[in-house]
Amino acid sequence: MMPPSRERYHTVVVGAGIVGLFTAYHLARAGVGPVLVVDRGFLSGGASGRNGGGVRQQWETAATVRLARESVDAYRRFGGEFGYNIWFRQGGYLFLAESPNELERLRRVRTVVEREGLRSRELTRSEIPRYANGLELDGVVGGTFLQSDGTLYPFPAIWGLYETVRSLGVEVLLGAEATGVSASQGKVRGLHLATGPVATDAVVNAAGGWSSEFSRRCGLAPSNTPTRHEILATEPLKPFLDPMVVRLSDGLYFSQTMRGEIVGGLTLSHPPGTAPGMPSSARFLRAMSRALTQLVPRLATLGILRAWSGFYDDTPDGLPLIGEDPRLIGFFQANGFGGHGFMLAPASTRRVAQAVLGQPSDLDPALFGPGRFLGPPRERPVEGAQLG
Amino acid sequence: MASPRGTTFRFGSRRVSVPPSRSLLSALMGSHLPILQRSIRYHRPRAPFCGVGQCTNCLIRVNGIPNVRACRYVPSDGDFVETENSWPSPAVDLLSALDVLLPGGIDTLRGFRRPAWATPLYHRVVRRLSGYGRLADPGQGSPPPVGSRHDTDVAVIGLGVAGAAALRTLQEHGANALGIERGSVEPLPGTPVLPGTAAAFLPPPVPGPAHPWRIVCVERGSRGVQVRARAVVVATGGYDAGLWFSGSDRPGVMTAEGALSMTGNGGRGAFRKAVVFGGGPRAADLLDRWGALIEAVVAPGAVSPEVSEKASALEVPLYPRTLLLAARGRRRVRAALLRSRAEGTEFAVEADAIILAHRRLPHPQLYFQAGAKMEWRHSAAAYFPTLREGTETSLPGLFASGEGAGFLGPTAVEASGVAAARQAMGMPAPAMDEGSRVDATAPNEIEGYYRELLTGRRVGGKWVICPCEDVLLSEVEEAHALGYRGIEVLKRYTGVGSGLCQGRYCLPDTLLLLARLEQRPAPEVGYITQRPPVTPWSLSAFATLPEDGEPEGPG
Ligand SMILES: Cc1cc2nc3c(=O)[nH]c(=O)nc-3n(C[C@H](O)[C@H](O)[C@H](O)COP(=O)(O)OP(=O)(O)OC[C@H]3O[C@@H](n4cnc5c(N)ncnc54)[C@H](O)[C@@H]3O)c2cc1C
Ligand SMILES: Cc1cc2nc3c(=O)[nH]c(=O)nc-3n(C[C@H](O)[C@H](O)[C@H](O)COP(=O)(O)OP(=O)(O)OC[C@H]3O[C@@H](n4cnc5c(N)ncnc54)[C@H](O)[C@@H]3O)c2cc1C
Ligand code: FES
Repeated sequence: MMPPSRERYHTVVVGAGIVGLFTAYHLARAGVGPVLVVDRGFLSGGASGRNGGGVRQQWETAATVRLARESVDAYRRFGGEFGYNIWFRQGGYLFLAESPNELERLRRVRTVVEREGLRSRELTRSEIPRYANGLELDGVVGGTFLQSDGTLYPFPAIWGLYETVRSLGVEVLLGAEATGVSASQGKVRGLHLATGPVATDAVVNAAGGWSSEFSRRCGLAPSNTPTRHEILATEPLKPFLDPMVVRLSDGLYFSQTMRGEIVGGLTLSHPPGTAPGMPSSARFLRAMSRALTQLVPRLATLGILRAWSGFYDDTPDGLPLIGEDPRLIGFFQANGFGGHGFMLAPASTRRVAQAVLGQPSDLDPALFGPGRFLGPPRERPVEGAQLG
Repeated sequence: MASPRGTTFRFGSRRVSVPPSRSLLSALMGSHLPILQRSIRYHRPRAPFCGVGQCTNCLIRVNGIPNVRACRYVPSDGDFVETENSWPSPAVDLLSALDVLLPGGIDTLRGFRRPAWATPLYHRVVRRLSGYGRLADPGQGSPPPVGSRHDTDVAVIGLGVAGAAALRTLQEHGANALGIERGSVEPLPGTPVLPGTAAAFLPPPVPGPAHPWRIVCVERGSRGVQVRARAVVVATGGYDAGLWFSGSDRPGVMTAEGALSMTGNGGRGAFRKAVVFGGGPRAADLLDRWGALIEAVVAPGAVSPEVSEKASALEVPLYPRTLLLAARGRRRVRAALLRSRAEGTEFAVEADAIILAHRRLPHPQLYFQAGAKMEWRHSAAAYFPTLREGTETSLPGLFASGEGAGFLGPTAVEASGVAAARQAMGMPAPAMDEGSRVDATAPNEIEGYYRELLTGRRVGGKWVICPCEDVLLSEVEEAHALGYRGIEVLKRYTGVGSGLCQGRYCLPDTLLLLARLEQRPAPEVGYITQRPPVTPWSLSAFATLPEDGEPEGPG
């Protein structure tokens, strides 16, 4: 393994997923001193190379809607700026409710979304077929639809960022594990790598599902929990489905990629953990196949091409940690994105970079601050729209 | 059901009558392999390649169900068969103009970005080009039958030479055993077998002491079967490798296995003058069967005495130590372009088929899925399970036999099946002769072959190294040049190996290419994680998979 080329960096980012690379990009654009990104795995080996590519702006928390909307704009411009086509297709997100209660939840989201100036639609059951083909709607009472949501290919986003940050002078070290920080007087002084120490005043924890592990290694009790989530892709079909479809009752979500594959998953109660290998289980394949063939019976004969899994980095309130950790000056959290880090990354990481640069941020620390779980337990808002 | 007199089905507007229990492919065979399919990106013509249900080249629509494999499907009376993904027909597809207009391929990674306002249009066009079949007709997804479960003491997966020997041994000892075979099998009195059933390992959710092994299977493509066993004998054999050359995806290029399954069994011929590529036992076998239809035998290295004897008796020209540079011909193979490795001279042999018989590869998937320790055997340039004693793998209760475990030649293959069965019953391990396994250190022919082929002057035309996804050789080389390293990343960057064959025909060679480019041993370049189910299994198969006492459903 190669050691870094310098002894001191302005900032070291741990994790070269979408969050780490976007953070490095914003820092490099701001023209700070040298930036190093380290990742112990390979490029796209974390959740950023294992996700469903869904991008939506329908949230219960207005601040999240704003982050998502800003990110949608960033992804629309991505091809022009980063040289890679991420095939961001705004085919919409269709949420399906199967009970008055679920419909009520969707309406709450819709109120927030509309207040933020996005035009979402409430659909009756009979209107749904106009938006998605082939669904068996027994049991569905209604839904909501937002056209400007969509799907993208995660991989080219990683390639485009990787090449762009490097061209901006950021050093990206792959196969390099961060094992902890050195600190004195409550301030970060450097980072430990397997090859030796590097000096820096700022470390960004963008280790995704391993962010808790890394926080712990830095002596900070984590607030996040990694949970394993499985997903599958089918054989490609000619295009028939435009939106991402999400069913509230079981968290079933699926969309059709540009290549024609159906990609999706659903929520299972998995014991949290970070077992290596990230295997798929019979339990998931069965539950997913049942749910999908029940909602789209015409897919029953379609082959599953592959199945895999990755980690959500979950927080107690469903909102990410963005900003400096109050327990250690110079230690910045950029994690806890659950199943939504890709869609929130462009805007969230801009705030991470602002925090590193000591610039003011428009984010409410009570909602996103890494210190919000410290101290005595309090009532706090929870982001309820966590599915899909 | 086919009537004893024959089967009549509709193929587009034609009515076709064939003898019963023939595959759809042999029913549609004319004087050549039929072009049933167009490729996903460039709409290049594709005809059956593997003949055994493992590639992407014979997908067809039957009774409103897309992506059915013609080489495996046996038509019934009244079936309605249509081609897909082409207009007006797979033989003459207008979209294939793309292929001609864009000799360097389409750059889906960096292309179609500008102008931004055209994005929706690009999306519409590119989506329409991709995908294979259309969504199934309504009513075709009728609720699938309920799956079944079998508990057994010893399960044998794959009932070829080794597996059949294992099952026979188990039966002779009165063991409680169950055989699982993807293809068809002769019934074995007294021992249950599941024919038409493909097996895979998924992580065992509840490792019970009595039946720690969980095997998930799909029966006839649609029904889930769960098998729980105390011990498992894996005997899944091997397959014929693909080969890279310009136009290697042209109709008429096929594996030896494919040629056998498509032309054997009284079927009409898939070719009339074939070039056989390979100089070992497979080539000898092909000469025995179809000497008169073979135009030349071309071998990457030396040919065996057996092959040269047979070829000279049949007056078939022999070209040892020769590179296969290209398949010439627009719609299908018309000639093979060759280059002598010694003299560097180039010449063409007219042919309507190129049969790949140069290299066998093991089926390692089940071992990988089970998490057994694997080792790279250089002479075969492939992974095999590491064996501890006799046929026992690193995992207690998992035994490896046959070609897939590296045993060579009919005697050793059969002996390994018998040994595995005995060990699975807890009997002592018979000594296995290490010399009967694939050599771990001997030099390997294919690496030197590719070094010469790929660093020498390259013949033009598309080198489609991953025919399922239409990935070009140049794309992998470019990714390497941009600094992307390791096969996991290259796979994600180029899409190589992510199609319907799940890398069977492209990843072994990609690994060798990367090993050379990255200047490190192939095992360090990585091995693609074997993602279940490996061969596409239908959603209904998993939907009917019996439950196993795990906590179920959403939570
Ligand atoms: C199945 C699944 C489906 C999903 N679907 C969606 C979706 O549709 N839309 C969406 O927006 N999001 C989705 N997500 C979530 C999204 O993928 C993640 O939130 C996002 O990718 C997180 O990015 P990241 O950069 O923080 O983490 P990652 O991409 O996981 O990157 C973290 C990196 O840190 C490295 N690392 C960890 N520890 C160390 C260390 N000590 N030293 C050095 N390096 C280290 C790892 O190797 C890894 O590469 C999904 C996730 C999964 C698992
Ligand atoms: C035409 C031909 C000529 C050959 N000539 C020679 C020769 O001259 N000399 C020589 O040494 N070798 C030769 N071989 C190789 C020879 O076939 C093998 O040595 C021998 O068949 C290996 O036996 P096996 O039991 O390991 O595999 P196989 O006989 O191939 O049996 C494997 C079985 O497993 C089944 N299977 C695979 N995966 C699964 C799964 N997931 N689930 C369920 N079932 C599965 C397959 O359908 C197959 O029936 C030849 C092979 C062929 C096809
Ligand atoms: S020829 Fe039918 S799948 Fe390969």
